[in-house]
Amino acid sequence: MMSCQNFRAGFQPGTDDAAILEHVRACDACLDWAAGVDPDVLFRSLGGGELIPPGGVDAFVSDVMREVHLRSTESTLVRHHRWPTSWTQRLAVAATLAAAITGAALVYQRDRQTPAVTPGPAVVRRAAASPLRLTTKPVVESYDSEKATIVEVPTEGNGDTQIVMIFDEKLPADL
Amino acid sequence: MIPTKESIEPDDRQLVRTIRDGQTDAFEQLVRRKTSKVYALCYRIIGNAEDAKDISQLVFIKLWENLEKYDPQYAFDTWLYRMVTNVAIDFMRNKQSRENAVNSNLRLVKTSADAEQGVNVQRKEVESVFNEVATVLSPKQKTIFVMNQMEDLPSAEIARILGCRESTVRNHLFNARKLMQAQLQKRFPEYARLWSDR
Repeated sequence: MMSCQNFRAGFQPGTDDAAILEHVRACDACLDWAAGVDPDVLFRSLGGGELIPPGGVDAFVSDVMREVHLRSTESTLVRHHRWPTSWTQRLAVAATLAAAITGAALVYQRDRQTPAVTPGPAVVRRAAASPLRLTTKPVVESYDSEKATIVEVPTEGNGDTQIVMIFDEKLPADL
Repeated sequence: MIPTKESIEPDDRQLVRTIRDGQTDAFEQLVRRKTSKVYALCYRIIGNAEDAKDISQLVFIKLWENLEKYDPQYAFDTWLYRMVTNVAIDFMRNKQSRENAVNSNLRLVKTSADAEQGVNVQRKEVESVFNEVATVLSPKQKTIFVMNQMEDLPSAEIARILGCRESTVRNHLFNARKLMQAQLQKRFPEYARLWSDR
């Protein structure tokens, strides 16, 4: 570091000379003197050099590294539980989903399908099971005949009324 | 020729490359190398040792998380300082909104007799005066003032760090000086006399 004599001889207001600044940041007597020449040097004197954090550099670094390791471990765990990222994994997931959806659709379709005409001797197991019964005519719970033609009209959903038509000459006219 | 410590140690860019290749130990080396610098800048911007330590640690953690984004064609310190200033300015903004009312009632007490006798500059006291008068600065103004006046960074480098124009940096510096002198006049007339006596 330069001497006080050299400093005072070389000091200029607004200086950026590193050696001058180094001196004024270390020497209280010269700071006092320089502040009378250039008051801006007051706050400049606070700078320069490097500072040690409380507890020392070793403790500081080990704190940082502990946190870094913790975060690395966390992010590794998160990566293991994340959605598949490779295209083969994505393709496998998409294929599984597609198969599941197609299967469900087929089952649903099969359940919905009912025969339009029941051939041969027919048994009506359930007639007009609707909760809203608007007719006062007698209810036929079951019907059995060898000559009858029984037609069930397909329904749109589970809540729809099941319509069954029975064509039989033996049936009473008012039924 | 026996290699010196400097010639053996990798530079910042080489260290970053090594870290990206998966060597965590190299990151420890980088943290150790930059700790004093980062802490000093944080401390001068924030003005409190414990907060500065916490903010410095946060900077290094962010550095670890964002190391992939570093472009080696730019100086590592510029990128690092940008991270420091971003984190410190955010912290200052939050802190300022919390403590504005309290700080406005604080001041260092000096008698008029002291002022008459002139200023015998005590470094610790200058630090307190700076922290007091700098409360009128915006976080960005204070950051720029600290980088220029205390870290001795030229305005062109500060502009690169903050991602703004050099003229913006010079404007901030000019305004910061003006605001601090007004504040000195109001709260520390014994110091303000130094400027008026020139």
